[in-house]
Amino acid sequence: MERIFEHPLISFKRGEIITFFFEGRELSAYTGETIAAALHANGIKDLRYSPIRNRPQGLFCAIGKCSSCLMEVDGKPNVRTCITPVKPGMIVRRQHGRGEISE
Amino acid sequence: MRLVSNLDLLVIGGGPAGLSSAIEAAKNGLTVLVVDEGVSSGGQLVKQTHKFFGNESFFASVRGFEISRRLTEQLNSLDSARIQNESSVVAIYPDGILVHDMRNDHTSLLKPKKIVLATGASERFIQFENNDLPGVYGAGAVQTLMNQFGILPGRSVLMIGSGNIGLIVSYQLLQAGVEVRAILEASNRIGGYQVHADKVRRVGIPILLQHTILRAIGEESVRGAVISKLDERWSPISGTERELVVDTICIAVGLLPSIELAAQAGCEMKYVQELGGYVPLRDEDMRTSIDDIFIAGDAAGIEEATTAMIEGQIAGLAVVSDLTKNSIQERLKYLKDTLRKFRSGPTSSKTRAGLSKLGSKFEEVSFTNGNQNDFTKYTGKMRPLIECFEAIPCNPCETSCPAGAISIGDNINSRPIIDYSKCTGCGICATTCPGLAIFMFRENKDGTCSVGIPYEFLPLPAEGQYVTALGRNGEAICKAKVEKVVKSANKTNLVYISVLREYASDVRHILVPSKESGAMVCRCEEVTVDQVRKAIKEGYTDFEELRRYLRIGMGPCGGRTCRLNTLMILSEETGVPVERLSPGVFRPPSIPVSFKALGEGRVDGYEE
Repeated sequence: MERIFEHPLISFKRGEIITFFFEGRELSAYTGETIAAALHANGIKDLRYSPIRNRPQGLFCAIGKCSSCLMEVDGKPNVRTCITPVKPGMIVRRQHGRGEISE
Repeated sequence: MRLVSNLDLLVIGGGPAGLSSAIEAAKNGLTVLVVDEGVSSGGQLVKQTHKFFGNESFFASVRGFEISRRLTEQLNSLDSARIQNESSVVAIYPDGILVHDMRNDHTSLLKPKKIVLATGASERFIQFENNDLPGVYGAGAVQTLMNQFGILPGRSVLMIGSGNIGLIVSYQLLQAGVEVRAILEASNRIGGYQVHADKVRRVGIPILLQHTILRAIGEESVRGAVISKLDERWSPISGTERELVVDTICIAVGLLPSIELAAQAGCEMKYVQELGGYVPLRDEDMRTSIDDIFIAGDAAGIEEATTAMIEGQIAGLAVVSDLTKNSIQERLKYLKDTLRKFRSGPTSSKTRAGLSKLGSKFEEVSFTNGNQNDFTKYTGKMRPLIECFEAIPCNPCETSCPAGAISIGDNINSRPIIDYSKCTGCGICATTCPGLAIFMFRENKDGTCSVGIPYEFLPLPAEGQYVTALGRNGEAICKAKVEKVVKSANKTNLVYISVLREYASDVRHILVPSKESGAMVCRCEEVTVDQVRKAIKEGYTDFEELRRYLRIGMGPCGGRTCRLNTLMILSEETGVPVERLSPGVFRPPSIPVSFKALGEGRVDGYEE
């Protein structure tokens, strides 16, 4: 997907450009964006694989209520990426299943 | 874990209800903490780009994100209040409230004297095959991506649900440059306000009544959707299935009050379908069955942001009344009256039915049904045509009119009545109307009409430019010349176009031709629409000049294909009708011919 730069009503105030890692790939984001938003801006919609049927799932509510966007962030599973801001150098992975704590 | 105990009020949720209650409490000197899960406060207001209905003292005609900014600013200016973002309340225990600060991953146990629960709502989810596929979003998520972070959710969207949210978000998608293929509605009538439905119809989004989605298509993310017609009993009619190619499915089928914390705390609950689900019992002060716990906003029953703000203020003041001797009774009474009036119209019948089940009583209130019968008496005068046919709680047209020509009256649900003798034709009502339901109108002596259209899209057309005038269902009606563009600080600009009088009552929107086009005008010399437009702007405003400059029309076809197309672009850009433009010179050869053939030709007629 892409970012909106011209809008009839909103002037978007974006932070600095930073980079973070998703599945080993270096991606860019703006500070102030959530992890899920930054991934969408990079065209990534499938954020995890469900615990029982192993189905791809993504953002659904975007306000921290539905738990559809749980990912592994800096080794910590079950992070609600829709309300967690992206940080420079953050390591983000798709979560498979219920998540495991990695060291 | 830290222990915090000197807190008068803990507000859970920093949306319109929460912020409003915190402001009222802090204004009265109470120590207030607002905890909110979001990266910024304002709740769902931060992604609302439309102007709000309602009355002036509750930000009517102000866009949602602006309301959020003002409320946050107001709260931050109060010494005894603080907002803590990125923090969730994990539990309400008898000995304290457990708050998780996600920024540094630690918890605190708070012991406030009072609590206002303003936890909002969550998205309702409907069942169809593959409804968990990435690319199936709740309407709120689409707004978050698009309006808060400026990220397109997709390219082509199918909207499920025609309530106010479905209608508003569809319009917002179009404003962001995303195509909306259709809005599906299971019932046989549109759920939201008529003014919102009118807005999406005139931009050309079809609303398909008695339709539903059967399944989403795709493996890793949405690639399409299968939709179907429904019969009277809402069962899909076999054989009416259709496949739509979309990359996003947006679900806007309603909201559920977020009552987990209230229920956990032991507040007495009741299932009230009209309010969206389980809600806590409460009195007029928004006090739940637990003395120290109040509730406000969508968590108390699904409604909208204005009532959330009023309820928030009521809850905040009720807390003040409990903890101080401040005299706030008069203000409390005013707020309750305002809320009652706000809910007295036909669009609030569901809310009234729901609240009645919780013990609220509503008296019959009268509101006027405005009329504009003398519109035709003022033919030839620039004046507004108010297409607000439904009694909704809203009055910015009245409060913004500098001439005092529009009146709503005491009940905010009444429809506007306009006195055309007082109207100066300034157009301010048309730019403030949250429903974009006011159009400017003047019959001209030359048989045309000037129509002023509230326009919230990019690009804004230029004066003198030709645009396509669209009707109420987004259908093209005629070409129209832009007479005037009046820019407004609130970004609802007015575009005045001139159309033939017979079309004027149908024209309600415009389509501005896309300025960028790599499409070919001249196939032989491969000249694009963009090149022609650029040349015209540089000053080549005659077909012969364009031909010499761009070689347009100088190829083997002899200008057959491109001459008229070029003239039409020239007409669009210069405003001169095609019939008044010079078509240029027609030169031989009219088709390619070889020099050999010419050399061997004879002058005396046919060869045997």
